[in-house]
Amino acid sequence: MGNIRDIKTRIDSIRNTRQITNAMKMVASAKLRKAQKGIINARPYADNINRMLATIKFKTKETHQKIFIQPKSDAKTALVVVTADRGLCGSFNSFVIKAAIQYMNDHPKTDLFCIGKKGFDIFKKKDVKMIKSYTGLFNEMNFNVSIEIANDLKQHFFMNKYDHIEVIYNEFKNIMQQNVIHKQVLPIPDVEELEGVSLLDFLYEPDEDEVIEELTNKYINVEIWRILLESSAAEQAARMTAMDNATDNATDLIESLTLNYNMVRQAAITNEIIEIASGAEAQNQ
Amino acid sequence: MEKLKLKIIQPQKIFLELEVDDVIIPGRDGDFGVFYGHTPFISVIRPGVLEIYNNNELTKYALHDGYVTVENNLITILCEVIESADQIDKSRAELALERAEKRIKSNQSDIDFRRAENALKRAVARITIS
Repeated sequence: MGNIRDIKTRIDSIRNTRQITNAMKMVASAKLRKAQKGIINARPYADNINRMLATIKFKTKETHQKIFIQPKSDAKTALVVVTADRGLCGSFNSFVIKAAIQYMNDHPKTDLFCIGKKGFDIFKKKDVKMIKSYTGLFNEMNFNVSIEIANDLKQHFFMNKYDHIEVIYNEFKNIMQQNVIHKQVLPIPDVEELEGVSLLDFLYEPDEDEVIEELTNKYINVEIWRILLESSAAEQAARMTAMDNATDNATDLIESLTLNYNMVRQAAITNEIIEIASGAEAQNQ
Repeated sequence: MEKLKLKIIQPQKIFLELEVDDVIIPGRDGDFGVFYGHTPFISVIRPGVLEIYNNNELTKYALHDGYVTVENNLITILCEVIESADQIDKSRAELALERAEKRIKSNQSDIDFRRAENALKRAVARITIS
């Protein structure tokens, strides 16, 4: 049963916690809306680039371009792991980190690029080669951040340090569901469907190589941007769900503790009445 | 005169979508005009001035990068940065111009020449339209 004052303190502290988790849920849902809007806004741009790349690739069967040549099985990999900067978002970070560790075990020739503080904290303690890390960028999301990351990746890729660049991140499916996605960014993956490919004979200016170079540039920038937005939306959704559960649990706890509190209080009162009554009885005799 | 459709898309939003008479685009190898019935075409853009003519009215934008496709009388410009005249701070652009000129003239081997040149072009484009 416990001490009546102890129970009261516990109820108060759980009530405070509930207030915080509830506020965090609200903040996450506001941020989620923003990230979702970003995803939708980035779609026309990304779709257009993908379509143009598919068109060019379709027309140039024979190519010397590195971005179109698929890697061999024992290739050198740059793995980009996207986690959040903060915790309190359920299994969001741990699933991505687990997937990354699994991948690195299977592919020993892998170097790491780490986006997000949570992943960085884990991997800096591990025996892995971390080339670069980016932390604290989810607070103020803007396109320049993705350009910076994309430039680093491009540089490494085109200097032949790596044969392919893979990304592991959380995809925003819906508020209840986030999927861990493993995706090859470079070279540009083979697309099966040729839907939307333009069959017109395009003239290239200045020439095909320069057009491909510019398209690739833009493609990586927007691909990284899209991944950051997806991950950010998924993080906020995960946090919303986690904080919603925490708030519910706090409510349940408060309920049962209040019941307990009332019982203890009732018992104390009954005790007191018995004492008074038996005292009075003793005097009457 | 038949109209062309023009779409300018940025990663964050669709910047502009309208019908126009013709457009002058700063291509990497020089400016070119696109009129109705232009052949299918894809070109890389250099930092410069984009001119849009519609009903004898001219609107100018500073266009910094990207590429343009023309197909079936639809012009699509994909760019990361584009600015209209009222978004530009002229004094800042003039400073940038000075800086870029100095950098190119200094002729040191350690400067990224292409980057300096692009900065110069951007500044010129900004000053032209503001």
